[in-house]
Amino acid sequence: MICEHCKTNQATVTVTQIINGQKSERHYCEVCAAQFHPFNVDFQNEEQFPLAQLVSNWFGLQIWKSETNEKQQSNTQTTTSCPGCGFTFRQFLNEGKLGCPKCYETFSSKLPQVLEKIQSGTKHNGKVPGSSKNNHLLLKKQIETTREQLQLAIVEERFEDAAKLRDEIKEMERKLEVGGVDTP
Amino acid sequence: MNLEHFLKSDGPSWLEVKGSDADIVMSTRIRLARNLVGYRFPLSFDEQEAKQIDQVVTQALLNRKNGDHFFSHFTIKEMPALQRQVLVEKHLISPLLAKKEKSASVVISNDESISVMVNEEDHLRIQCLSPGFQLYETYELANQLDRYLEKHIPYAFEESFGYLTSCPTNVGTGLRASVMVHLPALTMSKQMKAIIQTLTRLGMVVRGIYGEGSENLGNIYQISNQITLGKSEEEILNDLQNVVEQIIQNERNARQLIMQQAPIALEDRIQRSLGTLRYARIMTSEEAASCLSNVRLGIDLDIIKDVPLSILNECMILIQQGFVQQYAGTTLQATERDLFRAKLLREKLNAKTKNSVEKGEEKYDV
Ligand SMILES: [Zn+2]
Ligand SMILES: [Zn+2]
Repeated sequence: MICEHCKTNQATVTVTQIINGQKSERHYCEVCAAQFHPFNVDFQNEEQFPLAQLVSNWFGLQIWKSETNEKQQSNTQTTTSCPGCGFTFRQFLNEGKLGCPKCYETFSSKLPQVLEKIQSGTKHNGKVPGSSKNNHLLLKKQIETTREQLQLAIVEERFEDAAKLRDEIKEMERKLEVGGVDTP
Repeated sequence: MNLEHFLKSDGPSWLEVKGSDADIVMSTRIRLARNLVGYRFPLSFDEQEAKQIDQVVTQALLNRKNGDHFFSHFTIKEMPALQRQVLVEKHLISPLLAKKEKSASVVISNDESISVMVNEEDHLRIQCLSPGFQLYETYELANQLDRYLEKHIPYAFEESFGYLTSCPTNVGTGLRASVMVHLPALTMSKQMKAIIQTLTRLGMVVRGIYGEGSENLGNIYQISNQITLGKSEEEILNDLQNVVEQIIQNERNARQLIMQQAPIALEDRIQRSLGTLRYARIMTSEEAASCLSNVRLGIDLDIIKDVPLSILNECMILIQQGFVQQYAGTTLQATERDLFRAKLLREKLNAKTKNSVEKGEEKYDV
């Protein structure tokens, strides 16, 4: 397979993305993958990820480079500025950071394009304030390791240990169901 | 608690030696990025907003009664530069927070396992540190504090984007999980470049612990998740857990291989490093980090038996320039720092031997 970007080298890297639940695969050569993949850029700079740089590699060059597009951009710039902080999408691209929480709503139509490149999807799939979802990862992990110990105990015919482990698992599963160990 | 408590040279609790993988995994860190609804992010807010956020957050933390942790609060602007640097070197605050000019602060638990940065890149950065390889336990610690705070602070959250953060690289879970690993054998056998490339493709980041331009100083690497949106906390932790378990296995294999192929050369390198640490008069941070790494490997492989691992962990933090100057009691030029660093290491490493050897050794002066 040939690299989707340079269209000359052999593609050896597969980048998998999940966008709106749709899985897509892209194939790049080593050189292009290293250049594109945003995670390389982050290497030296603690959590200061130069999004602007990425955007100009991935996104900006195609969109902002030509003069006609430049003009189009300055039009949209005047139409959409965030009511919370006054940021424009252009400003976000330059800074690599947003101005306020409202920016997410303001730029909700354009942000997914950026998030696709740097995240594994564009939809939050984790914890929600006030809900108990994902609240007992430790307990789940403990159940998992205890199950492994149980398997081992059975294989080694240590049945007393196995019975004990089975009861421990039951107890932990009960905790998980009733809302677990979370303190108020 | 006064600031001195957090500036003293003793190793913080997360530098203890703990867990089955303590020979390779030094510590685990969990960070949660959170913001308040109705305020601009620190990049664009004004001093008044900064002050209000600082008050709301620190009040909520200091009022926490039910937790096991007691918190102390420090305002960044009121702290002398050297003290800020020491907190950076202890990983209690970030270099970015240390430089803040608007209202910013840090709230630290007494045992230093929890620190909350206020008005860093986000309004809140909850950070928990633990010794050894404890991803789920450390996440639980951060999660409990987060669940307490969410009842008192209106978080900026949106169903589709999750926790809203200043930078889109943190949006979603706001979770960054990191594991600090010592990988001398993989580094010696030149396998790290390939490993870093593989990890990058898996959505992980690898970097050095001593900051910029020193990715693998002392052969210590920090491995973190890069992706925060589209995966649940559980998936993020599971992925990192699996990746680090594989790296641990690779490092163990590489150590065995070096032991088989070049035992004398390896022992020579390790013992020379210990000699250098015990007797050298001038020591740059690079040389110190590399010698400490070799000695640490020597302890793990049971080649060195009279130096406790805990002292080594402590030394790795102490050789940084802020600590060296704190130890000297004054700011120093680079060349002077190298003298004091050598003295500090001699004292740390010879003092411990003195206890284990029946009669005291001779005294060492600068
Ligand atoms: Zn290519
Ligand atoms: Zn905004």
